[in-house]
Amino acid sequence: MYRSMLFLHWKQIRHALVLMIMASFGLPLLAVGGLGTPPGLESASLEAYRFVAGFQTWLAAFPALAALTGTALALSAWNWDHQVNHVYALSLPMTRWEYTLQKMLAGMTLALLPAAAMWVGAHLATASISLPVGLQAYPNELAVRFLAAIVVSYAALFAMAAGTVKTTLAVAGVIFGFIFFGAVANDVLAGYYAYFERVHVVAAFIEWIVEGPGPFGVFAGSWTLIDV
Amino acid sequence: MNNAIELSGVGWKAGKSFALHDVSLRVPVGSIYGFLGPNGSGKTTTIRMFMGMMKPDHGTISVFGRPVPRDMKQILARVGYVPERPHVYPALTVGEQVRVHASFYELWDRGWCNELMDRLGLDPGQKIARMSKGETGKLLILLALSQRPDLLVLDEPTDGLDPVVRRDVLSAVLDYVSEKSATVFISSHLVHELERICDWVGVMDHGRLVAELPMQHFKNGIKRLRVSGAPETASDVPFTILSRHRDNGSGSVETWIVRDWEAPMRYYFDGVGATVRDVIDLDLEEGFVELLRASRPQPKNGS
Repeated sequence: MYRSMLFLHWKQIRHALVLMIMASFGLPLLAVGGLGTPPGLESASLEAYRFVAGFQTWLAAFPALAALTGTALALSAWNWDHQVNHVYALSLPMTRWEYTLQKMLAGMTLALLPAAAMWVGAHLATASISLPVGLQAYPNELAVRFLAAIVVSYAALFAMAAGTVKTTLAVAGVIFGFIFFGAVANDVLAGYYAYFERVHVVAAFIEWIVEGPGPFGVFAGSWTLIDV
Repeated sequence: MNNAIELSGVGWKAGKSFALHDVSLRVPVGSIYGFLGPNGSGKTTTIRMFMGMMKPDHGTISVFGRPVPRDMKQILARVGYVPERPHVYPALTVGEQVRVHASFYELWDRGWCNELMDRLGLDPGQKIARMSKGETGKLLILLALSQRPDLLVLDEPTDGLDPVVRRDVLSAVLDYVSEKSATVFISSHLVHELERICDWVGVMDHGRLVAELPMQHFKNGIKRLRVSGAPETASDVPFTILSRHRDNGSGSVETWIVRDWEAPMRYYFDGVGATVRDVIDLDLEEGFVELLRASRPQPKNGS
């Protein structure tokens, strides 16, 4: 049964997933590709500084790619079920939680493919360059963080996408409503209370979600492949 | 356990537009039960209720004596289901869909599946997205039958199929039933299609089960009578009057549409001073239409 679920999910997402596997493989190579030892650099510390700075221009692409992969996996997981009003799933001799769990696991298994591609790409990238003194490569850590970020975004959206379009729109509406009206309310309140000038509630909330202790923290941590 | 499916007082409401009203039906084990009704009468909703896909607001449902939805996993392992709209995944080939489906059923019969695939002329390498409606219908039947189910639930399985494919599909179902003695629940709005194969019939209209009877009674028991000198009010009648109206320009002659008619009942009219002039057989479709007409509220005069 699990193999069938995996096969069906693969059939749904195979084209997009191949692109994401290629991107995951290529991103570390791209990030270090423009590096190498710049000519005329005399100081080893300056060389290291330039090296890290060059890599950092690509930093945002790593969590973005992870989020995109997780989103694509989650939406494709339920796409066909929604198209047939879940009739096929509900006619199978398995409980609803068994079906959902196996579908979830199938998606997580597929998430291993871009993460593995990232791991290979990161190792190749670090092997293809001679690192300046004082710098170290973290290909394993980067790949694990990439996998964790895919799984977090996949899990969050999997739950949301499982519902009806109405439910999904309601949840999305609440989130965007909070952000929009929260921002407006904050600006209004800032005119009366100095506290709201100093602290932006919505920004603080988003920061708390991403940077605070919790699963979304994986997006805000260190994504560096090369660091001191 | 004498009934494969049993619904008792099942009700369900979807806003103001549609409701099931206290549907109670019994499908005997081993029967071929035809579920008739016009489009939108509640046939598919009733099926989804006993398939555990929807939860009734009230009433109880059991399949093979097991309660729905509590034992759905065990129930669905014994049920082959062909839904109203195809539920197969268009990106797969026939062979892939068969393998996927087979993995969910312990009793899957690979040999029978291959044999049936040949018989129905299905190509395992063909992509479902490129299949015609008839081929998709055959595939759905193939999937349902290869599970070796004890109960086949077919929701308008031949709707929109050409006569040749329709005959292929129905003959595959009948062959299976004769071999396995399975129960079949088949819904349709095509009366003649069910007339040939069913031994029980249930008729739905506007969310109500308006009749449930053996097909033989349905076929032979609905008559059109021409009665002269009929009393204003008929009491203690041994049959069910579905409708009666006075014939235009023929004095006291009335036309009665009756159910559960048997020849000796003619003597009822002698007792009330009336005479039966003709007893006319109605074919199944006419009987079906009269049954629906009788179950619907009559418009008030002048409205």
